[in-house]
Amino acid sequence: MSIPLVDLLGLSGGLFALGIFGIITRRNFILLLISVEIVMNAAILNFLAFAYYPPAPGLGGVTGQSVAVVLVGLAATEVAVGLAIVLALNRLRGTINVAEAIQLKL
Amino acid sequence: MRDLHLRLPQGVPVLGGREVNAETFAFLVVGAGTFVSGAFAITSREIVHTIIYIGAFFAGLATIYFLLQAPFLGLLQLAVYAGAVTILLMFAVMVLRKRIFAREARTALSALPILLALLLGLVLVDLALRAPTYLPGPAYGVGTLSQNLFLVNGGWLLLLGLVMLSALTGGVYLARETRSSSLAREARG
Repeated sequence: MSIPLVDLLGLSGGLFALGIFGIITRRNFILLLISVEIVMNAAILNFLAFAYYPPAPGLGGVTGQSVAVVLVGLAATEVAVGLAIVLALNRLRGTINVAEAIQLKL
Repeated sequence: MRDLHLRLPQGVPVLGGREVNAETFAFLVVGAGTFVSGAFAITSREIVHTIIYIGAFFAGLATIYFLLQAPFLGLLQLAVYAGAVTILLMFAVMVLRKRIFAREARTALSALPILLALLLGLVLVDLALRAPTYLPGPAYGVGTLSQNLFLVNGGWLLLLGLVMLSALTGGVYLARETRSSSLAREARG
């Protein structure tokens, strides 16, 4: 018997809810980025769960792992750009509180 | 991993009579640790502790990927997330001032977001419990994954490369623009 699909999806759902909780409550830009990362990792775990348990031949399997590789790259890119914005925000306004950053213009 | 699974003792009864093997038991322990690390990372009041917890979170997820017969993803998770992203976050914290995080630490948690997150989590876990039963597929090697990645899904990989290049250009532009803006402000002031 392998790891049950229910357990994998349950953990993924719990992590997703945790990330959404962080996005709602935190105002610190870095904590917000970390919360978004938790949400993205929950999605990647879901892809890997269905890669492990393919619902149909040709669906899931190694394609799920390929999508997960692309998503890991995307998430890392998002962190890099997010931290560049954090540093710019700190230098210009002296804060990284997203509630105080009300203008898109630098 | 499957060979290891076959060598381990099977059918250890835990969790109210539910039969779990060593692989599932390892997943339950690592999964619980990962969830707790993520929760501490979000609720911790000290930003350095947050980064340590998020590093543990990423490492726990990498372990789960190894358990799911995805060793390449596990290594990628360890290198990119537990390594690069965690260090990048730590560097960002080091160049920022300490008082910024002290101000954030005073933010109180209200009951409504906690209730909303609990509700969302319960709905998702309930949906997971209704998931149909599928049989595990075959384990794939890195060769099969790379063939699929470069031959079948090569377009997506190319698109990812373009996105990364755009992000790099955007990051450099943002840093230069910010520096010139702050220099102009200093000259005016």
